[in-house]
Amino acid sequence: MAAGLDSFVNHTVSIITSDGRNFIGTLKGYDQTINLILDESHERVYSTTTGVEQVMLGLHIIRGDNVALVGQVDEDIDNRLNLANMKAEPLNPVTH
Amino acid sequence: MASNDDKRKASNASQDQKEKKRKESILDLSKYLEKTIRVKFAGGREASGILKGYDPLLNLVLDNTLEYLRDTDDPYKLTEDTRELGLVVCRGTSVVLICPMDGMESIPNPFISQDQ
Amino acid sequence: MLPLSLLRTAQNHPMLVELKNGETYNGHLVSCDNWMNINLREVICTSRDGDKFWRMPECYIRGSTIKYLRIPDEVIDMVKEETLVKNKQMRDQKGGRGGQNQRNRPAARGNFGNRPNKPQGGGQQKLFQKNKMPKQ
Repeated sequence: MAAGLDSFVNHTVSIITSDGRNFIGTLKGYDQTINLILDESHERVYSTTTGVEQVMLGLHIIRGDNVALVGQVDEDIDNRLNLANMKAEPLNPVTH
Repeated sequence: MASNDDKRKASNASQDQKEKKRKESILDLSKYLEKTIRVKFAGGREASGILKGYDPLLNLVLDNTLEYLRDTDDPYKLTEDTRELGLVVCRGTSVVLICPMDGMESIPNPFISQDQ
Repeated sequence: MLPLSLLRTAQNHPMLVELKNGETYNGHLVSCDNWMNINLREVICTSRDGDKFWRMPECYIRGSTIKYLRIPDEVIDMVKEETLVKNKQMRDQKGGRGGQNQRNRPAARGNFGNRPNKPQGGGQQKLFQKNKMPKQ
Protein backbone atom coordinates (compact mmCIF):
# COMPACT_ATOMS: atom_id res chain seq x y z
CA MET A 1 0.00 0.00 0.00
CA ALA A 2 0.94 3.62 0.43
CA ALA A 3 4.31 5.05 1.35
CA GLY A 4 5.57 2.45 3.80
CA LEU A 5 3.68 3.70 6.83
CA ASP A 6 2.72 0.08 7.54
CA SER A 7 5.72 -0.40 9.82
CA PHE A 8 4.60 2.59 11.94
CA VAL A 9 1.11 1.21 12.64
CA ASN A 10 0.51 0.63 16.36
CA HIS A 11 3.71 2.52 17.18
CA THR A 12 4.15 5.94 18.71
CA VAL A 13 4.63 8.56 16.01
CA SER A 14 5.33 12.26 15.92
CA ILE A 15 3.37 14.25 13.34
CA ILE A 16 4.25 17.72 12.17
CA THR A 17 1.37 19.41 10.41
CA SER A 18 1.63 22.19 7.86
CA ASP A 19 0.31 24.71 10.39
CA GLY A 20 3.48 24.03 12.43
CA ARG A 21 1.92 21.91 15.19
CA ASN A 22 3.45 18.74 16.66
CA PHE A 23 1.17 15.81 17.56
CA ILE A 24 2.37 12.65 19.33
CA GLY A 25 0.23 9.52 19.42
CA THR A 26 -0.24 5.90 18.37
CA LEU A 27 -0.73 5.49 14.63
CA LYS A 28 -3.81 3.29 14.23
CA GLY A 29 -4.25 3.55 10.48
CA TYR A 30 -3.78 5.56 7.33
CA ASP A 31 -4.93 5.62 3.71
CA GLN A 32 -3.51 6.47 0.30
CA THR A 33 -3.90 10.22 0.85
CA ILE A 34 -1.99 9.99 4.19
CA ASN A 35 -5.10 10.68 6.24
CA LEU A 36 -4.01 9.37 9.64
CA ILE A 37 -5.72 7.88 12.68
CA LEU A 38 -3.86 8.97 15.80
CA ASP A 39 -4.94 7.40 19.09
CA GLU A 40 -4.22 8.64 22.63
CA SER A 41 -2.60 11.69 21.14
CA HIS A 42 -1.27 14.85 22.67
CA GLU A 43 0.02 18.09 21.23
CA ARG A 44 3.40 19.46 22.24
CA VAL A 45 3.35 23.23 22.36
CA TYR A 46 6.85 24.72 22.17
CA SER A 47 7.78 28.08 23.63
CA THR A 48 10.98 30.03 24.23
CA THR A 49 9.84 31.26 27.64
CA THR A 50 8.37 28.15 29.35
CA GLY A 51 8.94 24.42 29.01
CA VAL A 52 7.11 22.27 26.51
CA GLU A 53 3.41 22.15 27.30
CA GLN A 54 1.61 18.86 26.56
CA VAL A 55 -2.10 19.07 25.73
CA MET A 56 -3.99 15.78 25.92
CA LEU A 57 -6.26 15.38 22.89
CA GLY A 58 -7.30 11.72 22.50
CA LEU A 59 -8.46 10.17 19.22
CA HIS A 60 -7.83 12.13 16.01
CA ILE A 61 -8.21 11.86 12.27
CA ILE A 62 -5.65 14.14 10.65
CA ARG A 63 -6.28 14.94 7.01
CA GLY A 64 -3.39 14.03 4.71
CA ASP A 65 -3.27 17.45 3.00
CA ASN A 66 -2.16 18.85 6.27
CA VAL A 67 0.60 16.36 7.17
CA ALA A 68 4.18 17.53 6.65
CA LEU A 69 6.05 14.79 8.52
CA VAL A 70 5.38 11.41 10.14
CA GLY A 71 8.19 9.99 12.26
CA GLN A 72 8.41 6.95 14.51
CA VAL A 73 9.25 7.85 18.10
CA ASP A 74 11.78 5.85 20.11
CA GLU A 75 9.79 5.62 23.34
CA ASP A 76 12.85 4.98 25.53
CA ILE A 77 14.57 8.14 24.36
CA ASP A 78 11.30 10.09 24.38
CA ASN A 79 10.59 9.08 27.99
CA ARG A 80 14.01 10.33 29.04
CA LEU A 81 13.35 13.82 27.66
CA ASN A 82 12.89 16.51 30.25
CA LEU A 83 10.17 18.38 28.40
CA ALA A 84 9.48 20.75 31.29
CA ASN A 85 12.95 22.27 30.88
CA MET A 86 12.99 22.22 27.12
CA LYS A 87 12.63 25.59 25.42
CA ALA A 88 12.26 25.93 21.69
CA GLU A 89 10.85 28.24 19.06
CA PRO A 90 7.47 27.06 17.79
CA LEU A 91 7.54 26.03 14.12
CA ASN A 92 6.17 28.43 11.57
CA PRO A 93 3.29 27.30 9.40
CA VAL A 94 4.07 26.20 5.87
CA THR A 95 2.98 28.88 3.45
CA HIS A 96 1.53 27.76 0.16
CA MET B 1 -27.45 -22.40 -15.34
CA ALA B 2 -30.60 -20.43 -14.68
CA SER B 3 -29.81 -20.27 -11.01
CA ASN B 4 -26.33 -18.99 -11.83
CA ASP B 5 -27.79 -16.24 -13.97
CA ASP B 6 -30.19 -15.34 -11.23
CA LYS B 7 -27.35 -15.16 -8.78
CA ARG B 8 -25.39 -12.88 -11.06
CA LYS B 9 -28.40 -10.66 -11.59
CA ALA B 10 -29.03 -10.45 -7.89
CA SER B 11 -25.41 -9.65 -7.19
CA ASN B 12 -25.38 -7.01 -9.95
CA ALA B 13 -28.53 -5.46 -8.56
CA SER B 14 -27.04 -5.22 -5.10
CA GLN B 15 -23.88 -3.73 -6.54
CA ASP B 16 -25.87 -1.21 -8.54
CA GLN B 17 -27.66 -0.24 -5.38
CA LYS B 18 -24.37 0.21 -3.56
CA GLU B 19 -23.01 2.24 -6.46
CA LYS B 20 -26.06 4.48 -6.38
CA LYS B 21 -25.77 4.88 -2.65
CA ARG B 22 -22.15 5.87 -2.93
CA LYS B 23 -22.71 8.40 -5.69
CA GLU B 24 -25.68 10.03 -4.04
CA SER B 25 -24.62 13.24 -2.35
CA ILE B 26 -24.85 13.38 1.43
CA LEU B 27 -26.12 16.93 1.01
CA ASP B 28 -29.71 17.39 -0.11
CA LEU B 29 -29.85 21.03 -1.19
CA SER B 30 -33.51 20.75 -2.26
CA LYS B 31 -34.51 21.27 1.36
CA TYR B 32 -32.92 24.75 1.23
CA LEU B 33 -34.58 25.88 -2.03
CA GLU B 34 -36.23 29.31 -1.62
CA LYS B 35 -34.65 29.54 1.83
CA THR B 36 -31.78 31.73 2.94
CA ILE B 37 -28.49 29.91 3.39
CA ARG B 38 -25.08 31.01 4.64
CA VAL B 39 -22.12 30.05 2.47
CA LYS B 40 -18.41 30.24 3.33
CA PHE B 41 -15.82 30.19 0.57
CA ALA B 42 -12.17 29.20 0.28
CA GLY B 43 -10.11 32.29 0.95
CA GLY B 44 -12.46 33.65 3.58
CA ARG B 45 -15.39 35.28 1.79
CA GLU B 46 -18.82 34.72 3.33
CA ALA B 47 -22.26 35.38 1.92
CA SER B 48 -25.91 34.63 2.49
CA GLY B 49 -28.74 34.47 0.01
CA ILE B 50 -31.93 32.74 -1.06
CA LEU B 51 -31.09 29.44 -2.76
CA LYS B 52 -32.64 29.48 -6.24
CA GLY B 53 -30.79 26.56 -7.80
CA TYR B 54 -27.84 24.21 -7.53
CA ASP B 55 -26.11 21.31 -9.23
CA PRO B 56 -24.28 18.21 -7.92
CA LEU B 57 -20.93 20.04 -8.08
CA LEU B 58 -22.24 22.50 -5.48
CA ASN B 59 -22.48 25.40 -7.92
CA LEU B 60 -25.19 27.59 -6.40
CA VAL B 61 -27.59 30.27 -7.59
CA LEU B 62 -28.30 32.74 -4.81
CA ASP B 63 -30.69 35.68 -4.89
CA ASN B 64 -30.77 38.79 -2.67
CA THR B 65 -27.19 37.90 -1.81
CA LEU B 66 -25.44 39.71 1.02
CA GLU B 67 -21.66 39.52 1.32
CA TYR B 68 -20.17 39.92 4.78
CA LEU B 69 -17.16 42.18 4.41
CA ARG B 70 -13.89 41.39 6.08
CA ASP B 71 -11.16 43.24 7.89
CA THR B 72 -8.85 44.85 5.32
CA ASP B 73 -5.72 43.28 6.82
CA ASP B 74 -7.17 39.94 7.97
CA PRO B 75 -9.11 38.06 5.27
CA TYR B 76 -10.63 35.70 7.86
CA LYS B 77 -11.98 38.36 10.23
CA LEU B 78 -15.50 39.55 9.55
CA THR B 79 -16.59 43.12 10.24
CA GLU B 80 -20.13 44.38 10.74
CA ASP B 81 -20.18 45.72 7.15
CA THR B 82 -22.08 44.01 4.38
CA ARG B 83 -22.73 44.72 0.72
CA GLU B 84 -25.52 43.62 -1.55
CA LEU B 85 -24.61 41.42 -4.49
CA GLY B 86 -28.10 40.61 -5.77
CA LEU B 87 -28.39 37.54 -8.00
CA VAL B 88 -25.17 35.53 -8.14
CA VAL B 89 -23.77 32.18 -9.23
CA CYS B 90 -21.34 30.67 -6.70
CA ARG B 91 -18.67 28.35 -8.05
CA GLY B 92 -18.98 24.97 -6.35
CA THR B 93 -15.27 24.23 -6.10
CA SER B 94 -14.73 27.21 -3.80
CA VAL B 95 -17.61 26.44 -1.43
CA VAL B 96 -16.30 25.42 2.00
CA LEU B 97 -19.43 25.36 4.14
CA ILE B 98 -23.20 25.61 3.76
CA CYS B 99 -25.69 26.07 6.57
CA PRO B 100 -29.25 27.37 6.83
CA MET B 101 -29.51 30.99 8.02
CA ASP B 102 -32.67 30.08 9.93
CA GLY B 103 -31.51 29.11 13.42
CA MET B 104 -27.96 30.42 13.00
CA GLU B 105 -27.11 32.93 15.69
CA SER B 106 -24.13 34.55 17.31
CA ILE B 107 -23.76 33.40 20.92
CA PRO B 108 -21.49 34.18 23.90
CA ASN B 109 -18.68 31.72 24.67
CA PRO B 110 -20.50 28.43 25.42
CA PHE B 111 -17.33 26.69 26.68
CA ILE B 112 -16.53 28.96 29.65
CA SER B 113 -18.90 27.41 32.17
CA GLN B 114 -17.70 23.92 31.28
CA ASP B 115 -14.09 24.89 31.83
CA GLN B 116 -14.64 26.01 35.41
CA MET C 1 -7.76 0.62 9.88
CA LEU C 2 -8.77 3.28 7.39
CA PRO C 3 -9.43 6.83 8.58
CA LEU C 4 -12.70 6.98 6.63
CA SER C 5 -13.91 3.73 8.25
CA LEU C 6 -13.33 5.32 11.63
CA LEU C 7 -15.17 8.43 10.48
CA ARG C 8 -18.14 6.37 9.25
CA THR C 9 -18.23 4.57 12.59
CA ALA C 10 -18.27 7.94 14.35
CA GLN C 11 -21.67 8.82 12.85
CA ASN C 12 -24.09 10.06 15.56
CA HIS C 13 -21.16 10.82 17.86
CA PRO C 14 -20.04 14.28 18.94
CA MET C 15 -16.85 15.59 17.42
CA LEU C 16 -14.67 18.63 16.93
CA VAL C 17 -13.63 19.57 13.42
CA GLU C 18 -10.92 22.11 12.71
CA LEU C 19 -10.80 23.60 9.23
CA LYS C 20 -7.71 24.78 7.40
CA ASN C 21 -8.90 28.36 7.91
CA GLY C 22 -8.64 27.81 11.69
CA GLU C 23 -12.36 27.76 12.51
CA THR C 24 -13.57 24.90 14.69
CA TYR C 25 -16.96 23.19 14.60
CA ASN C 26 -18.35 21.17 17.51
CA GLY C 27 -21.32 19.02 16.61
CA HIS C 28 -22.73 15.55 16.07
CA LEU C 29 -21.72 13.80 12.86
CA VAL C 30 -24.83 13.07 10.78
CA SER C 31 -23.21 11.66 7.65
CA CYS C 32 -19.96 11.55 5.69
CA ASP C 33 -18.80 10.35 2.28
CA ASN C 34 -15.64 9.04 0.62
CA TRP C 35 -14.34 12.61 0.15
CA MET C 36 -14.61 13.31 3.89
CA ASN C 37 -17.45 15.78 3.21
CA ILE C 38 -19.51 15.85 6.40
CA ASN C 39 -22.90 16.91 7.73
CA LEU C 40 -23.01 18.05 11.36
CA ARG C 41 -26.02 18.83 13.54
CA GLU C 42 -26.36 21.05 16.64
CA VAL C 43 -23.17 22.84 15.77
CA ILE C 44 -21.14 25.44 17.62
CA CYS C 45 -18.73 27.31 15.38
CA THR C 46 -15.73 29.04 16.93
CA SER C 47 -13.81 31.72 15.04
CA ARG C 48 -10.10 31.28 14.36
CA ASP C 49 -9.09 33.55 17.25
CA GLY C 50 -11.56 31.85 19.62
CA ASP C 51 -13.35 35.12 20.30
CA LYS C 52 -16.61 34.68 18.39
CA PHE C 53 -19.15 31.86 18.56
CA TRP C 54 -22.15 30.86 16.49
CA ARG C 55 -24.83 28.27 16.98
CA MET C 56 -26.08 26.48 13.85
CA PRO C 57 -28.78 23.80 13.70
CA GLU C 58 -26.85 21.94 10.98
CA CYS C 59 -24.08 22.46 8.46
CA TYR C 60 -22.33 20.83 5.52
CA ILE C 61 -18.52 20.99 5.33
CA ARG C 62 -16.41 20.18 2.27
CA GLY C 63 -13.88 17.48 3.19
CA SER C 64 -10.94 19.10 1.46
CA THR C 65 -11.12 22.07 3.85
CA ILE C 66 -10.72 19.96 6.99
CA LYS C 67 -7.47 20.04 8.96
CA TYR C 68 -8.36 17.39 11.53
CA LEU C 69 -11.26 15.79 13.44
CA ARG C 70 -11.30 14.91 17.15
CA ILE C 71 -13.43 11.86 17.83
CA PRO C 72 -14.51 10.30 21.17
CA ASP C 73 -11.98 7.66 22.27
CA GLU C 74 -14.49 4.80 22.45
CA VAL C 75 -15.31 5.00 18.72
CA ILE C 76 -12.07 3.28 17.70
CA ASP C 77 -13.19 0.10 19.48
CA MET C 78 -16.54 0.15 17.68
CA VAL C 79 -14.85 0.09 14.25
CA LYS C 80 -13.34 -3.28 14.98
CA GLU C 81 -16.63 -4.91 15.86
CA GLU C 82 -18.46 -3.43 12.92
CA THR C 83 -15.77 -4.53 10.50
CA LEU C 84 -15.62 -8.09 11.77
CA VAL C 85 -19.37 -8.43 11.37
CA LYS C 86 -19.20 -6.91 7.86
CA ASN C 87 -16.35 -9.18 6.77
CA LYS C 88 -18.16 -12.22 8.08
CA GLN C 89 -21.30 -11.26 6.18
CA MET C 90 -19.29 -10.78 3.02
CA ARG C 91 -17.63 -14.20 3.38
CA ASP C 92 -20.93 -15.88 4.03
CA GLN C 93 -22.72 -14.23 1.11
CA LYS C 94 -20.15 -14.16 -1.64
CA GLY C 95 -17.53 -16.71 -0.69
CA GLY C 96 -14.20 -16.02 -2.37
CA ARG C 97 -15.40 -13.00 -4.31
CA GLY C 98 -15.55 -10.78 -1.26
CA GLY C 99 -11.81 -10.32 -1.16
CA GLN C 100 -11.56 -9.28 -4.75
CA ASN C 101 -14.36 -6.78 -4.47
CA GLN C 102 -12.75 -5.28 -1.48
CA ARG C 103 -9.48 -4.74 -3.25
CA ASN C 104 -11.23 -2.87 -6.03
CA ARG C 105 -13.04 -0.58 -3.69
CA PRO C 106 -11.26 2.68 -2.95
CA ALA C 107 -12.30 2.90 0.67
CA ALA C 108 -13.07 -0.69 1.55
CA ARG C 109 -13.23 -1.61 5.19
CA GLY C 110 -11.04 -4.37 6.40
CA ASN C 111 -7.36 -5.17 6.80
CA PHE C 112 -7.35 -5.56 10.53
CA GLY C 113 -4.92 -8.44 10.47
CA ASN C 114 -2.32 -6.80 12.68
CA ARG C 115 -4.54 -4.88 15.02
CA PRO C 116 -3.97 -6.18 18.55
CA ASN C 117 -6.88 -6.59 20.90
CA LYS C 118 -6.24 -3.73 23.24
CA PRO C 119 -8.67 -2.15 25.68
CA GLN C 120 -8.89 1.64 25.59
CA GLY C 121 -8.49 3.75 28.69
CA GLY C 122 -11.34 6.18 29.18
CA GLY C 123 -9.14 8.71 30.92
CA GLN C 124 -9.09 11.28 28.16
CA GLN C 125 -12.73 11.11 27.40
CA LYS C 126 -13.55 13.69 30.03
CA LEU C 127 -11.22 16.17 28.40
CA PHE C 128 -13.02 15.74 25.14
CA GLN C 129 -16.42 16.25 26.68
CA LYS C 130 -15.22 19.43 28.26
CA ASN C 131 -14.81 20.69 24.73
CA LYS C 132 -11.50 22.23 25.58
CA MET C 133 -10.12 23.92 22.55
CA PRO C 134 -6.75 22.53 21.57
CA LYS C 135 -5.59 25.79 20.10
CA GLN C 136 -4.84 29.10 21.75
